[in-house]
Amino acid sequence: MRILLVEDDAEVGRFVKKGLQEAGHTVEHVANGREGLFMAASENFDLLVLDRMLPGGIDGVRLVETLRGQGNHTPVLFLSALAGVDDRVKGLKAGGDDYLVKPFAFAELLARVEALGRRPAVDAPATRLRIADLELDLLSRTVSRAGKRIDVQPREFRLLEHLMRHAGQVVTRTMLLEKVWDYHFDPQTNVIDVHVSRLRQKLDKGFDRPLIHTVRNAGYMIRAEP
Amino acid sequence: MVPCTFLLLPFFAISATAMDGGPELRTLPQGVAYCQELAGRLAPLPGAAREPARSLAAEGSALCRDGHVRTGVAKLRRALRAAQGR
Amino acid sequence: MPPLAMHRRSRQHPGPLWRLLSSAGFRFALLFATLFLLAGLAFTGVLWWGTAGALDRQIDAAIRADAVALAERWRDAGDAAVSDAIGERLALDAEDQTVYLLTAPDGQRLAGNLEQLPDGFRPDVQWYGIALERDGISGEARLFVLRLSDGSSLAVGRDIGEKVRLRALLTEGLAWSAGVAIFFAFAGAWLLRRALEARLAPAAATAALIAGGDLSPRVPLSGHEDEFDRLGQSMNTMLDRIAHLMEGVRGVSDAIAHDLRTPIARARSRLEEALDAADDPAALKGALERGIADLDNVTRVFQAVLRIAEVEAGARRAAFAPLDLVPLLVDAADLYGATAEEKGQALHTAWPATLPLTGDRDLLLQAVANLLDNAVKFTPPGGAISLEASWQEDAVLVRVSDEGPGLSQEDRSRVGERFFRADMARATPGSGLGLSLVRAVVQLHGGTLWFEDGQPDEGGDRPGLAVCLRLPAA
Repeated sequence: MRILLVEDDAEVGRFVKKGLQEAGHTVEHVANGREGLFMAASENFDLLVLDRMLPGGIDGVRLVETLRGQGNHTPVLFLSALAGVDDRVKGLKAGGDDYLVKPFAFAELLARVEALGRRPAVDAPATRLRIADLELDLLSRTVSRAGKRIDVQPREFRLLEHLMRHAGQVVTRTMLLEKVWDYHFDPQTNVIDVHVSRLRQKLDKGFDRPLIHTVRNAGYMIRAEP
Repeated sequence: MVPCTFLLLPFFAISATAMDGGPELRTLPQGVAYCQELAGRLAPLPGAAREPARSLAAEGSALCRDGHVRTGVAKLRRALRAAQGR
Repeated sequence: MPPLAMHRRSRQHPGPLWRLLSSAGFRFALLFATLFLLAGLAFTGVLWWGTAGALDRQIDAAIRADAVALAERWRDAGDAAVSDAIGERLALDAEDQTVYLLTAPDGQRLAGNLEQLPDGFRPDVQWYGIALERDGISGEARLFVLRLSDGSSLAVGRDIGEKVRLRALLTEGLAWSAGVAIFFAFAGAWLLRRALEARLAPAAATAALIAGGDLSPRVPLSGHEDEFDRLGQSMNTMLDRIAHLMEGVRGVSDAIAHDLRTPIARARSRLEEALDAADDPAALKGALERGIADLDNVTRVFQAVLRIAEVEAGARRAAFAPLDLVPLLVDAADLYGATAEEKGQALHTAWPATLPLTGDRDLLLQAVANLLDNAVKFTPPGGAISLEASWQEDAVLVRVSDEGPGLSQEDRSRVGERFFRADMARATPGSGLGLSLVRAVVQLHGGTLWFEDGQPDEGGDRPGLAVCLRLPAA
């Protein structure tokens, strides 16, 4: 992916750029809003990663508003030290697609970047999701593996659906909480882990090849290859 | 207390306009002649010899003679009224 | 007038008179004095019309009757008879109050005690108010002039000294009462100002103390429950709120000092240690990972502290919306039920079909989640936890009970203080901020939080704890 990173802190900028490059992306890094707007408007990017507070008279929110006003719909991920709910709402209202509060784990950032960059195409709604021998029927809301039906609860179905829509990508616990349960809160303990391990037990029981993998220090990933 | 003074003004104004009656008119001066006229009116009355008309008349005439015409006239008039029984 | 100009003006006139004149008490007293005077004026007006007016009308009637009688006699018997009648009338006028004049058509005086007709005499005007001099004594009189058929004039009049005296009396009375009103206005102003000052002095003194930096004093209340007490009460409420907010700010700095220092120090020592183990890549990696975990913990505590501050400041009311608490409870039970099950605990739930409420969805879930998290943490394996909600009058009652070690009465009052952790809880992980956040969320929703005994287990050595939230619906 070709990513534009607008971040005024040199150290954070360097760290994020290096990490994204190592993950196989092309990254352009600029340090202020004016340059960022110029770049975003004149070149093609798959994703913009923006700091909310930027020097140069144009902050992240202004930048996105201007871009959206020009009909540019490149996905935007906000990075911000502002953690208040109002700040998040303001950022998303301005046209941001995701919002990550500093300090963050790089794995979380990478997972969100990849989720945003490869969002499923809206115009071709799938009725069936398939990974290896695992099949998810979105119409009948049933799960089967190697032709054998597996009973899952509705919440587990949604959890699995989210993982499968992002197959091959890391999905973090916070992302699951936000997307599957639709809450923004701190669960204190890793309640998500319990749900994932339950689902995993149901899916992998009787099969020697596990499908849901734990990615250390990051989250979970569903993929066919071990 | 400026407002209070303002409040009093209309009253002073009323008093001032009422006093302002143009040039004064005068009554005729009451002289000794008037005393005698009154005494003359009293004399024929039947009650003139009775008290208190008699002494009032005497007092009035004496005052008139001494120059206190105004008081004298008043006494004589009271004597007249007494004599008429009013 | 702008406050600044007022201020400057009062600076220029610091004298006691200016202080009296510029006081609110004085202005009130002045207002009342003015009202009294206006009332007095109205009263005097009515009195004047009733007395002097009646007197006037009486005199006028007597004069007119006298004149008409004389005019009739003139018609019947002529000049001589009238002259005679006038002489008779004058002779009987002991009080010397009457005036008569009969003039011939050529203006020659025929009878009466008046020298001449008034200067401004016009045949068509009958009534005259005149200044009259009797033997050198000035007075006022009312005169009625009747034009007789042959052109002669008959004037009949009376002194109106009585009326003049009455007017003087009323004027004098009013002048005196105005003087007294002025005196009382000043005296009242002074008293009122003193009373106002005396009643406001405690509030002013308290405000001065607080401006000086000490937030603890409160306005003493007189117990009269009057306007001043209400002012004092609202000042005190305001001060309590300010003190509470200040405490919150202090709490944040305490938090930073107390709870953030420890993990930061731990992370620091781990990293330092890692320097020594730089030649063993595995140990280095482990140390770094633990360091990052410590920093994440720091961030979480920090986030919780900021969240509490945000909630306590009431800033999150913006996110309030009507919602049904039931799906929220279902989600919470779903999220934590799995964890409880892992620990071999049973989670019992009970609630009606719907519980409408106005509030912040994320915060309410966070509150219930914190309570469930605590319950799971403190209930031993095999124990039971219950999450119940019910509708009570106009509020929603949420009750989370566990079979944990419970809380002593003493600790119950301290729970909710930031970073308070009961002795027994010290061994369990947690920031000690969970209940603080719950309490802040409940307060934001205008609700109350209290503790009850939970369900004791069979052995009876664990009393259990129930945390109850009452959230008003509107």
